Amino acid sequence: MKDKSILRPHSFLSKILFLTILCLVFSHSIVSAVASPFLPNPDRITYKPLSFTPPKAERVTLDNGLVLYVLEDHELPLVKITAVIRTGTMFDPPEKEGLAELTGKVIRTGGIKGMTGSALDETLESMAAILHTSTNRDSGVFSLSVLKNDWEKGLELFSRILMTPVFEMEKLTQEKELKTEELRRISDDPQKLAFREFGRLIHEGSPRGRLVTANSINRIQRDDLIRFHRLFYQPKGVMISISGDIDRKEAETLMNRYFGNWRPTEEKVETPPLPRPKEGMIYILPKDLPQSIVIFGWLAPAKKSPFSFPMEIIDFIVGSGGFRSRIFQEIRTNRGLAYSAGSFYTAKSDYGLFGAYALTKSESTLEVISLLRGIVKDIGQKSLLPKELEMTKGSILNSFIFSFASANQIALQQLMIEYEGLPEDYLMTYRNKISAVRTEDLLKAAGRYLDPEKAIILIIGNDTICKEISVSFKEVSTIENPL
Amino acid sequence: MARNNTFYIISSIVLASLLLLPASLFPYDLDKRVQAYTLKNGLRLLMLERHLSPTVSLYIRYRSGAVDEADGKTGTAHLLEHMMFKGTKTIGTRNYPREEKVLVKIERVGAALDREKIKGDSADQALLRQLTQQLKGLQKTHRQLMISNEIDRLYTEQGAVDLNASTGQDLTTYQVSIPSNRIELWARVESDRMANPVFREFYTERDVVMEERRQRSESDPDGKLLERYLATAFIAHPYRRPVIGWPSDMRFLDMAYMRHFFKKTHAPNNTVIAIVGDIQPTEALRVVQKYFGRIPPQKLNPFPVTEEPAQSGERRIEVLFAADQKLILGYHKPPPPAFADYVFDLIESLLTRGRTARLFKTLIEEKRLAKSIQAHNGLPGSRYANQFVFFAAPRHPHTSMELEIALDEEIERLKNEPVSGLELEKVKNQLRADFIRGLDSNAGLAGMLSYYEALLGDYRYLIDYPAAIDKITPNDIQQTARTYLTRENRTVATGVRKP
Repeated sequence: MKDKSILRPHSFLSKILFLTILCLVFSHSIVSAVASPFLPNPDRITYKPLSFTPPKAERVTLDNGLVLYVLEDHELPLVKITAVIRTGTMFDPPEKEGLAELTGKVIRTGGIKGMTGSALDETLESMAAILHTSTNRDSGVFSLSVLKNDWEKGLELFSRILMTPVFEMEKLTQEKELKTEELRRISDDPQKLAFREFGRLIHEGSPRGRLVTANSINRIQRDDLIRFHRLFYQPKGVMISISGDIDRKEAETLMNRYFGNWRPTEEKVETPPLPRPKEGMIYILPKDLPQSIVIFGWLAPAKKSPFSFPMEIIDFIVGSGGFRSRIFQEIRTNRGLAYSAGSFYTAKSDYGLFGAYALTKSESTLEVISLLRGIVKDIGQKSLLPKELEMTKGSILNSFIFSFASANQIALQQLMIEYEGLPEDYLMTYRNKISAVRTEDLLKAAGRYLDPEKAIILIIGNDTICKEISVSFKEVSTIENPL
Repeated sequence: MARNNTFYIISSIVLASLLLLPASLFPYDLDKRVQAYTLKNGLRLLMLERHLSPTVSLYIRYRSGAVDEADGKTGTAHLLEHMMFKGTKTIGTRNYPREEKVLVKIERVGAALDREKIKGDSADQALLRQLTQQLKGLQKTHRQLMISNEIDRLYTEQGAVDLNASTGQDLTTYQVSIPSNRIELWARVESDRMANPVFREFYTERDVVMEERRQRSESDPDGKLLERYLATAFIAHPYRRPVIGWPSDMRFLDMAYMRHFFKKTHAPNNTVIAIVGDIQPTEALRVVQKYFGRIPPQKLNPFPVTEEPAQSGERRIEVLFAADQKLILGYHKPPPPAFADYVFDLIESLLTRGRTARLFKTLIEEKRLAKSIQAHNGLPGSRYANQFVFFAAPRHPHTSMELEIALDEEIERLKNEPVSGLELEKVKNQLRADFIRGLDSNAGLAGMLSYYEALLGDYRYLIDYPAAIDKITPNDIQQTARTYLTRENRTVATGVRKP
C-alpha cells in the first residue's frame, strides 16, 4: 500500500528516540464522526496508561579502549553481536574510491590468520551463524547472529575477522569483479541510479560525494586493503554491542579474552570536510522511461544541533508522517500523481540531509516539481496550526516505545548515541525536546535550511521532459555519462 | 506478490527433540503458547503473549487475492486494498447521508466516462470533455463532505508503526503495530472497514495504482521480466496474471465489480486475525468479540479456478529492455502441504542459501559466470500448484546461456548424486536456526501464524514442519528433482538489452 522506503538513503538508526514511557492519551477530534450506537467515536476511546521502563545495556571499556554494551535477554537461545567501526567510504583515497567497501567485504570473505576464507564460510554456516558486514559513508557495521551454544566460537571468529584478516588475493579479485558488474548494471535500475547521483550531487565538495567507478576499483590492490584495515580497524575505533541469551559477566570475560590483546595504532585520521553542494542547481539525467524520478535535496542540521528536533517535526509534516503528510496527501491522494512520494531527514553527528521526492509519469513531471517546491516553501512561510503541531508531536511521542522492542535494538541504540558523540542524556531528554518545539522554531529551522531556491534538484526522465526542463528553468545541468 | 516474505526465512520450526537443541536449551513450546478461537461468524483468531515491551502486532488476512478476480478485471483485489484505507461510513465523513448521494453520482458519471473512453479513437470527444468536467465538479463537492486519510491519521496519531497492507495472488493482508493499550482503536477501525468501507477518491486512487505499475513493472527490468515469465509459465491458471493487473484492465476498473468482489471475499468467515505481543488474551478476545462478532458471515464465492494443464515441453521467451542480461528459469510443482513442497524448501537452501550453497560456490566463486543466483520455492502463490524458480544475472562477458548450461549441470547432479549426510545436516540446521530467529519479533510471528492459518486452514503446519523436514532423505531429494526438474516442465525467460 505505501512505499516510503525506496528513496531513503542508507541510515543506520534513522530515529533514536527514548525513555520511560507514560502514554499520552492524545485525543482531540478533528471532526465529530457520526458514531453508530455500537461504534464509539474512534477519537474518544480512552486508553489505560502504559508504564514501561525499558532495560538498559551496561557499558564497559576494555583496557585497549574498546567500548562494549551488553544486555541480557533470555527469551530465545540466540545471541546478537554488532560492531560499529569508525570507517566509511568518505575515507576512500582519491582515485581509489571503493576501498572502504572492498575492505569491509574481503575482511569477511578473504580468510583470517590460520583459516582460509572458504573454511571460515564452512565453519560459520555449519553452525547456522549469519555474519554480515556493510560499509556506509561514515561507518562500518558488522553483525553476527548465532545460536547460544555456539556463541563463544562465534565471538572468537568475529574477533579474528576484525583483528587478523588475511585479504586473500583470490577473494579480492572476486569481489572486485562482482563490484564491477554491479556498477555496469546500476543504470538498469532507475531508482538505484537516482540515488547514486543524488548522493554525489548533495555531497559535492566532500570526499563523501566521490563515486566508485570501474576504474577506481581496478586500481585497488591488496596492500591498499591491508593499510586501510590497519588505519581504521583498531580498538579505539570500534564499539561492540552484545545482546541475547548470555551472562553479562561471561560476556565481559570473553570479550577480554578475544579482544584484549588488540593494540591500538597511533596514526590519526582527519575527518573529511563537509559537503558544499551547488545551491539552486537543477540536474537532469535523460533516460528513456515512462516514469520520472524527482528528488529535491538540502543540507540539514546535524543531530547535535538544536535544530534537529524541529527538523524532525518538519520532516514528519512534509512527507514522512504517513498519509496525512503534505506530499503524500497532495501528490498521491489528492492528485493521483505518484505511488511513491515523501520526504526524508537523515541526521549524522556533524551534518544532515533533507530530501523530498516523487516518482511520477513523464507528463506530470513539471507539475510535481512545482508541487514539491510549493510544499517546502509553505513550511518555511506559513505558521502551522497549533492542532497540527500537537498532533505531530503526539504521533512521534506515542510511537516512541517501538524504539525499545528488542534487547538488540536497545543496546545498539545506546551504542550509537556514544558513536555519534551525542550527550549521554540524549534519550532521557528526547521527549522533552520534541515537546518543547514551538511553531516559531519550525519557521526558523525551515527558513534557515530549506530555502526552495537553494535546493539541488535531480530529475531522471525521458528526453522530452529533460528538454522541457532545460527551457523552463535557469541553472540546468545535464548529466551525460553517469558512470 | 511473492508469498509472505517471512515464509522462507522461517520455513522451519525447531522443536526440543532435535539433535542440536536439547530440550533444556530451548523450552519454547509454540504449540502451547498459541491460543486459537473461532467466533460464531466463522472468524479465526490466534493469539500469543509476549511481554518484552508494551507493544502489539496485529495481522488480518483474508483468504482472497488476485486469483479470485474475474478475467478482464485484473488489479481489482489490489485496488480494493488501497480503497480500504479511504474510510467507512463513520470514519472519514462530515455527513455521510449527504456524502452518499454525491458518491452515487460520482460512480454514475465515472462509469459513463469509462464507457466512452473505452471506445478509443471513436469516442465522442465533446461527451468526454463534458463528463470529465462533470466528474471534476462532483469530486470537488465531495471533498467538502469528506475527510481524507482518516484511517491513517487515527493510527498515526496513536503511535502506530508499520501500518500497511499487501495483496498477493492468494491472500490480502492488513497489518499494524501499536502500543499495547490501544487494541480497541484497531478493533474499532478494522471491524468497521470489514463491514462498511466507503470507496472514496476511487478514480484518483486508480491513477495511483497506474503509477505503481509504472514504477514496479514498466520502469523496472526485473519486475517486467518476472511478469512476462509468469504469463508464459502459466497459460490457463490465474497465476499467469500480474497481481497489480494488466494496464488495459486497470484503466477501467469499476466500483460495481469491486463492491461485488469485496462482498464475496471480505467476510469474517474468510478471515484470520493474529495478535502477538503484550496482551491479556481474555481481554483481547473480549474486544475482538465485541467489534468483529456482530459482522454477519457471507456466502463465499465458490469460483472454480481454472487448473493449469501439465506443461508438455519447454517454453522460452525473450524480454527486451534497456538493461543487461537477466535470467528467470523455473519448474511447475505442487504447493504445500504436499511432500514435494517440503523437499523443495530444502533444495532451495541447499542450492542458494549462503556462501557455501552449491550454486554460490560453483556459479559465482568457481566458474565466475554469475553476478547473482537465487532459488525461490513457491511462486507466485501457494494456494494452487506453483513454481520453483531461479533468478540469475550473468557476469559480463558471460551470457545467460552459459549460466543456464552451468545451472543445468547442477540440477543433473542433484538427480544423480545423493546429497551427503553432512551437507544435508547443515541445511536442516540452518532451517532450524532461521525458525528461532523468526520467533524474535511480534510482527514476524503474527505474520507467520496468520499466513498458514489463512493459506492452509491450520497454523499447525508450522508446528509439524520440523518433523517433516527432518524426515527428508537424500533419496527424496533425488526423486523430487527427477520428477519435477525436467526440461519439458520448465520455462525460461531471458532479459535482453534492446538493440
